[in-house]
Amino acid sequence: MPTQTTGATDSALAEPVISVDGLSVRFHKSRRNRSVRDLLFKGQSGVRAGEFWALRRVTFDVQHGEAIGVIGRNGQGKSTLLKALAGVLMPDDGTVEVRGGVAPLIEITGGFVGDLTVRDNITLTAGLHGMNKEQVAGCFDDIVEFAEIENFLDAPYKHLSSGMRVRVAFAVVSRLEEPILLVDEVLAVGDRAFREKCWERIEELIDDGRTLFLVSHNARDLKRFCSRGLYMQEGKLIMDAPIAEVLEQYHADSDEAAELRREQVSKRKEDRERAIADDPSTVGESNDGTSSRETRNKDKKAERPRRVDDDDDDYDTY
Amino acid sequence: MGPNEDVPLNRSDQRSPIARARAVWRVRKILWLLVVRDLKVTYAGSALGYVWTVLDPLLMCSVYWFVFTQVFPRGAGEEPYIIFLVAGVLAWNWFTSSVNESAKAFRASRKLVKSTDLPREIWILQVVMSKGCEYVMSLPVLVAFMLIYQKSVNIYILTLPLAMAIQFVLLTGIGLLLAPLIVLVRDLERLIKVMLRLGFYASPVLYSVDRVPESYQWIYVVNPMGDLLQLYRSGIFGDLMNWGHVGIAAAISTAVFALGWFVFARLERTALKEI
Repeated sequence: MPTQTTGATDSALAEPVISVDGLSVRFHKSRRNRSVRDLLFKGQSGVRAGEFWALRRVTFDVQHGEAIGVIGRNGQGKSTLLKALAGVLMPDDGTVEVRGGVAPLIEITGGFVGDLTVRDNITLTAGLHGMNKEQVAGCFDDIVEFAEIENFLDAPYKHLSSGMRVRVAFAVVSRLEEPILLVDEVLAVGDRAFREKCWERIEELIDDGRTLFLVSHNARDLKRFCSRGLYMQEGKLIMDAPIAEVLEQYHADSDEAAELRREQVSKRKEDRERAIADDPSTVGESNDGTSSRETRNKDKKAERPRRVDDDDDDYDTY
Repeated sequence: MGPNEDVPLNRSDQRSPIARARAVWRVRKILWLLVVRDLKVTYAGSALGYVWTVLDPLLMCSVYWFVFTQVFPRGAGEEPYIIFLVAGVLAWNWFTSSVNESAKAFRASRKLVKSTDLPREIWILQVVMSKGCEYVMSLPVLVAFMLIYQKSVNIYILTLPLAMAIQFVLLTGIGLLLAPLIVLVRDLERLIKVMLRLGFYASPVLYSVDRVPESYQWIYVVNPMGDLLQLYRSGIFGDLMNWGHVGIAAAISTAVFALGWFVFARLERTALKEI
């Protein structure tokens, strides 16, 4: 429950704070072939056509105070896993047990209302996440200071820039006294300085003994905060190891995939060139143009750093 | 990952209604916060704020009043008609605005639904309650007309909380039923609009039930809003009181609530994925 505080879990140190057992979540590829009757009375029986497992039999335990990074390419189930942990998705199979409250840094601007002032919004959102009045009053100044929003307290929230909105939201949610922190690439917005400030705040929270779950494509951040990595592929947990090893595997796989792609591109190019050679009549100026552009692209690709930790801004928009 | 894997699925998350109710009770403070937020948005958002709460029903009523006393001067309800009318329109407004918005509750609070693990019933309760508060705050309109026409209340005015309680149960049931359905079946939104318009004329908002030909009166008895509107008015027009009909309204509302909650619990998981 969001109202629980860190104190509640301190007594249960030996027990894992998160136990995920056989967690499976199923999604529909299309919304077409379903009837309401279907949903109500036989909606739970296995996977039918047009469905796929976004998560499949994922099992792991998390001990108190662990910092875990979730790695995987887009669409492999990372965010779904985080949502299941946050309790905003319900498993189709298996169980998720989270002992203690969760501070979800997912969709953090969700509780904010454009028409109300920043001040009202801070109070309301903090309350919404389970803080009582005294707690809100106690950390209100900290929140304002962290978000650097002193001058806009009485402005309607909708007048803030998107960067400022995220700042306020992060300031509030990161202030929650929950023992578990779920971070889903929320920090993609905001300028560099503020992003660094956020990371520092998260670091503080980890040192404070919180449990961290971080989804990111940024290897540097992952290395900085996490000790353990979970590697997701096609909805399955394929690797659960120290973060360095997991990252290494991930990079190896990515490189392999990139290599494969390059091979395909050059093969296609060869095919085309062969076709042109076979039938010179089809060769137009445009065709030449394309092929030279492709070569240029390919060069660019080769120049481009392949390691994930270098593309600092390669976040997904969430 | 094979699509043919058939596994026994456990239902550990399918909690009993008691567990669900407890979960909602535990977050009652947050629910209240959401209601307050809604009201703040309603009243802080526009310059006229509260005036709209009063003006909206007032304008509607003046139109109906004109039609039914000046254009067709046959009389449609009790006299003074304007009081009869306002008493009905205010309660009906609560009904229609609440059904409309609670049906869309998941989409309206999309981001919050996707980022907090609050029991999801509260997104519906939030709408029903804040619309209920708006209803109460629009009651001064009725009081004003009663002062103007020197019409006093009778003992049945004490049933006002009962009428509101039954309507609350009914609205919560409808909201719980529609909110997950509308996520899965978009067209429902249109259907709801049409049904509400039909419901308006199938309820005694503009006229009294006893003006309806006897062979059709059962519609107004089976329709819980029909019974409720009569109950709301009985505090002013004592002869409209009919305890039997109140019982029917309570029974049907409870049944709607049970159905709505059942559907909500079954569809919650699927709806969450589609939000």
